[in-house]
Amino acid sequence: MIRRVAAVGAGMTQFGEHFGLGIKDLVPMAVTEAVDSVDKGFDRADIDAAWFGELTTTDGFPSGILVDSCGLLDIPVTRVENACATGNDAIRNAVYGVASGLLDVVLVVGADKVRESSARGTFWEWMGLTRDLAWDYPIGVVAPANFALHVNRYLHESPATREHMAMVAVKNHHHGVTNPKAQMRFEITIDDVLNAPTVVEPFGLYDCTPQSDGAAALLLVGEEVVDRYTDQPVWVRGVGLGLDRVMHQHKADMTTFPPTVKAAKQAYAMAGVGPDDIDVAEVHDCFTGVELIDYEDLGFCERFGAAALIESGDTAVGGRLPVNPSGGLKAKGHPPGATGIAQCVELFEQLRGESTNQVDGARVALAHNIGGPTAVSAVTILGIEKG
Amino acid sequence: MALLSIGTYLPPWGTDAARVNGRDEDAVTMAVEAGRAALQDGVDVDSVVLVTRDLPLLDGGNGAALVAGLGLPPATQVVEQIGGAPSVLDALVSVADSTLVIGADIGPTSGAAAAVVGSEGGVALVPRARVQRSLPTIARGGDGVVHDYADPRLTRERGMRTALDEAGIAEKAVAVVGLAPKDASALCEGGAPRVPTVGASAPLFALAALAESRANGLVLAFEQANMTAVDVTTGVDVSVTRVQRSPQPPPKQALTPGPEIKLSLPAYERAFDAKVRLEAGCCPHCGTLALPPRHRCLGCGAEGDSALVALPRDAVVYTTTTIHTPVPGLATPYTIVIVELGDTGVRLLAQVTGAPPGNIGIGDPGTMVLRRVAERSGVPDYGYSFLPAAAPAAAAQAVAS
Repeated sequence: MIRRVAAVGAGMTQFGEHFGLGIKDLVPMAVTEAVDSVDKGFDRADIDAAWFGELTTTDGFPSGILVDSCGLLDIPVTRVENACATGNDAIRNAVYGVASGLLDVVLVVGADKVRESSARGTFWEWMGLTRDLAWDYPIGVVAPANFALHVNRYLHESPATREHMAMVAVKNHHHGVTNPKAQMRFEITIDDVLNAPTVVEPFGLYDCTPQSDGAAALLLVGEEVVDRYTDQPVWVRGVGLGLDRVMHQHKADMTTFPPTVKAAKQAYAMAGVGPDDIDVAEVHDCFTGVELIDYEDLGFCERFGAAALIESGDTAVGGRLPVNPSGGLKAKGHPPGATGIAQCVELFEQLRGESTNQVDGARVALAHNIGGPTAVSAVTILGIEKG
Repeated sequence: MALLSIGTYLPPWGTDAARVNGRDEDAVTMAVEAGRAALQDGVDVDSVVLVTRDLPLLDGGNGAALVAGLGLPPATQVVEQIGGAPSVLDALVSVADSTLVIGADIGPTSGAAAAVVGSEGGVALVPRARVQRSLPTIARGGDGVVHDYADPRLTRERGMRTALDEAGIAEKAVAVVGLAPKDASALCEGGAPRVPTVGASAPLFALAALAESRANGLVLAFEQANMTAVDVTTGVDVSVTRVQRSPQPPPKQALTPGPEIKLSLPAYERAFDAKVRLEAGCCPHCGTLALPPRHRCLGCGAEGDSALVALPRDAVVYTTTTIHTPVPGLATPYTIVIVELGDTGVRLLAQVTGAPPGNIGIGDPGTMVLRRVAERSGVPDYGYSFLPAAAPAAAAQAVAS
């Protein structure tokens, strides 16, 4: 990297169905929490520019809403939209800005107000964002079906079963219990998962992320100014973004997400680390089976080794490689634009030893999103060493 | 005039006595099923006459979908005719040679049947009588509202009997359609052949039965107070292809009210030929097939126009899922699949048709069939759905010679 970049502040709103709060409330709440988290204090006049990740627009023009609602009228803002990879992609773009040397202090915000629409209304909104209008849109590939087509094929080819998917849900719910920002803070059992009503086969209710509202924010600065803000920075070691063919018909092997493989390869190379170096990860578990495929695509285990990995308990806090200590999308919630940034808020706290579900001795951490028509993934690698 | 080949189609839903069309079927998709069955032997046709009382689009658009589904050239003449059973008999004895005549019925007794008409051979038809009187016991206008006078005795006395008297027909027929089964049987020698519909497709179903049993005689088609009578001679072999399965109860699905499914007419129009004919773009440089057709070749990266080529219709499931959660505007649960077409390596995302939701497995074989995939802002959106291969007991495809 031309110039090292560090996170010096991080904050987020609670995730949930915030019927009482609009996007113009959630965004400034997350930004203020990030500002307040800076160890040595932070003057928001220091912010040179901002990136704003928002998947679907509510209340109009996103960049304007950010500057207007946060009192930042004099900075440039770029809106990022990259499906469910929006959050980590906003970070990637902000990192490029600081690493270039043109900017010293930037703000990255992600937010979405999913529950501004009726619970069922989002199906067609999201299909409109992701499907070929003539060929695929009328078929009715709702968001869970988008992933179910992959997971059913994955279950067909790999040793994984619905029970392994249920283990992911049980683990992530358990992790979410201690997270005050999580939407679902209760334990569930394997039987709860297996006996829940079917949403889209093979996903029952507890295999699915809830619909969530929320916002999250990070403050990123160049290495020369880090000391002004903190003695305990979290360094952005690597970023990556991978894409794939958009239509499911054109994805040769649906048991894997090539965008994840590509994004991870870029981020690992930039960070100079490999999967074995990761101490804690926040990965995209919008549906339980997706976390299993993520393990393989991110290199946490060999191909079709995810069933054995979740069975081993290694991906629970206390295990070899804890995954989703925040509760993941599954229990913490999933406002798409905020999700990737909230993952990094959790990892910021993990790497500083401040998480409510602390992974002992975490030094290198990975955040991951996969989204849209399973055609985009973003990966961010953070660490306590500058690298 | 003579019939050279006959094809019939019955939807898989309902009972033996009364088939009902699926949610994804309309007069055009059923006409395509019957028409393709009649065209199976590779007979050439120059024009198509579709007779139905349920044209999906009253302001144009059915004809292109019909010929595309039938695999006929776009320039093929199409006559879209509002009519019932007598109209079809009229058409069969009056159209030009090499015309495909199709009757399609939607409603409580759904079905479609088609015949290729030529000058000689097969089933010979000679017109006998036509009676045209007004007794609109069922009245449906442009608003689509049905007014049913509901007086069967009036229909029998002033419809059927008056028509027969006017035509001076006193002898028994070999087949009678468009009447209640009891009335039809009374007019027939030894009982009328059982016909699954009462509308435009009914005479063609009756002629298919006569062709199979080699019966000769008078055929009568009624609708309200209208009647057409034709003398039929079954001489040479004529192929009858029936596309039908054992009926099953319509699937239990719930329709969740919702907004209209949006439509981009430019996107619809660009996709139409490939989507309704099931054709892929074929790269002129490397031969790679692309569905949908695309500007830049998936194989060699060449850019520009690709030729459309027909795709095989046999398909195997690569992956599938069934949606149970209510989706506004759709009937749930419903099953979708990604299938591989023949040995082309081309895959298609499709809905499942003709089978209850669920119970589709990876590796299951089937066939791609034209269905109304969705109705979008009033426009029937035609495309191909996956019809799973029937269990041997459920399949009933008969070819009589």
